[in-house]
Amino acid sequence: MSKFPEYKHDKSHEYFNRAIKVIPSGIYGHLGPGEGLWVPVSKWPFFSEKAQGTYFWDVDGNKYIDFMCAYGPNVLGYNDPDVDAAALKQLKLGNCTTSPSKVMVECAENLVDTIASADWAFFAKNGSDTTTLAVMAARAHTHKKKMFFLKGYYHGDFQWAQKVDYPGILPEDVANNVVVPWFNLQALEDAYNACDGDVAGLIAQPYDHGNFKDNEVASKEYWQAVRKFCDEKGMVLIFDDVRTGFRLDLQGSDHYYGIKADLICFCKALANGYNMSALCGGEHMKSTVSGITYTGSYWMSAVPFAASIACINKMKKLNTPKMFREMGTKLTDGFKAAAAEHGFDLVVSGEPALFYLRIANDDSLMLHQEWVAECVSRGLFLASHHNHFMNAAVTDDDIKKAIEIAEDAFGVVEKRHPELKG
Amino acid sequence: MTDSRTMAYVNLYAVLGTLENLCALDTKAKEILYELKKPVSICFDVKGGPTATIKFTCKGCRMEDGKQPHDILIPFSSCEKFNGMIDGTVTPIPVKGFTKIGFLLKTFVALTDRLTELLRPSEENLKDPAFFELSTVLTFYTIAVALAQIGNQDAVGRASASYMLDGDIAFLIKDGPAATLRVKDHRLLAIKKAPEKPRAIMQFDSLQLANDLFNGKVNAMECIGLGTVEIRGMLSMVDNMNRILDRVALYLA
Repeated sequence: MSKFPEYKHDKSHEYFNRAIKVIPSGIYGHLGPGEGLWVPVSKWPFFSEKAQGTYFWDVDGNKYIDFMCAYGPNVLGYNDPDVDAAALKQLKLGNCTTSPSKVMVECAENLVDTIASADWAFFAKNGSDTTTLAVMAARAHTHKKKMFFLKGYYHGDFQWAQKVDYPGILPEDVANNVVVPWFNLQALEDAYNACDGDVAGLIAQPYDHGNFKDNEVASKEYWQAVRKFCDEKGMVLIFDDVRTGFRLDLQGSDHYYGIKADLICFCKALANGYNMSALCGGEHMKSTVSGITYTGSYWMSAVPFAASIACINKMKKLNTPKMFREMGTKLTDGFKAAAAEHGFDLVVSGEPALFYLRIANDDSLMLHQEWVAECVSRGLFLASHHNHFMNAAVTDDDIKKAIEIAEDAFGVVEKRHPELKG
Repeated sequence: MTDSRTMAYVNLYAVLGTLENLCALDTKAKEILYELKKPVSICFDVKGGPTATIKFTCKGCRMEDGKQPHDILIPFSSCEKFNGMIDGTVTPIPVKGFTKIGFLLKTFVALTDRLTELLRPSEENLKDPAFFELSTVLTFYTIAVALAQIGNQDAVGRASASYMLDGDIAFLIKDGPAATLRVKDHRLLAIKKAPEKPRAIMQFDSLQLANDLFNGKVNAMECIGLGTVEIRGMLSMVDNMNRILDRVALYLA
């Protein structure tokens, strides 16, 4: 008998049925049922009503412990009082103004003081804005054409970052993308030679946190070797720290791996949900970026800058990377033990702050999908095939409850599959 | 953008290959074949493209890959010429089997005309529920085989296949036809029955929905949200299959 009753999602479905009439696919992107990979959709909430700390409530009033954190932005907890106070104070002063607010300068100075490889900061709204600027800057700086990507890459959804078989993408859009495998320096060398050296740079996430597969962390030795390779070839090394930024190391994930990237992209955890992103880089890249025509209507809005300053300062005070490592380890150790009690082999991979889960009892992932769905429909919000995110509002009691729900869900799936006992 | 070589593979294996299902499911096709006294085999041999042999008996037909024992041989000097035959702009000229020319002109043409009627249905015909069901089922089989051909031949389709893991994808219409898309080393094979142990599943919840999807009236992403398209298992395989599915519409347009 399940200790945690299953949620109902009647109002969510009502809203979704309205949404599908006026919004393409109802909820597009990773927050929606298609790209979010909700299997089956009946177990998931579509829309939220409110959020606080590490919890959100859906429109049916169901409460969730949320380890997706809006896919990253929620780093201190929803409605963090310090960040919200800073944002509201700035809102009263001005937000989207003809002359940018001075808080933009303060925000850039704060980033330069925080990020080890940063001598400057350029602001935008989304991660894609910064990865796109980084690739443009690499080409402008080197006057070379090709870009290297590491297999399983995700650097946003702009045309150049998609794949040739995606709807609306032309072969020409991605003709200069060269994909090389992770952790293989010889492959980098071979690819470089195959391009006759016409390579502007390498854009990469700090480690292989792709979907549908166990995440593979990198080593300092690997990144130091890649840094050396890029230096020797005159390639720009771009760290896409959009997902991992501020969760591994407040000084940047390149610092975590003992190197300095030429350019580093931030978004999600930058302002605890206030909409902004930043490209940071070394002094040697500043004049190149100065010469690029690139801006947007809301990119210099002041409220997110104020939120970012408060967010970063609070993360420093709390030492959130250490906190996330400890909490993520405690949580996933609990999940693994609960899985084992019910005969499931739960594989935990990636960094504890961004843990990735996979039940390895079958190679189709169907058992894993069943378990995740039973967790979600009992109030523990996980994703089937995406890394998760820790936030600073998580308490020991939250972790305890999350493990209890996870165990309950394992029990439900175990009961449904007597064949697993052999 | 389509290429004529991939189109030839789609036309031969997916379109003409659906004659197998037509002869098994359609009363009119069965009546056409009923008069066949002896088995007849036709080999379509496309230079620079596919080769397959279709064996007809009074009970049905079966396509086999490659040049098998045959009564009639129809060579094509190019993929474009073969595609022209399917479009009706090129008249096929057999080089072997002149004594069976009657089968070619009468029985084979009658069957392909019937197939065309069902795969390119008029709005009027689709109002008949039985016709609608048969048309949708045959379209389903055509699409299933076209998926494999496009994944193996088309440049963009091959890119999608290059991301696919080994295993069987169940491609299904609930309470209706089923197919397997088998992936091995990024090569695809369509089998016109459900897999025993699928690694991934994509199921449409009705013939009507499948028909609407095939005709571009609705999008799979919308249907996933509504729960009318069920996906499970190794979803990266389904995702990439869905990308190839997008290209099927181009080739079967």
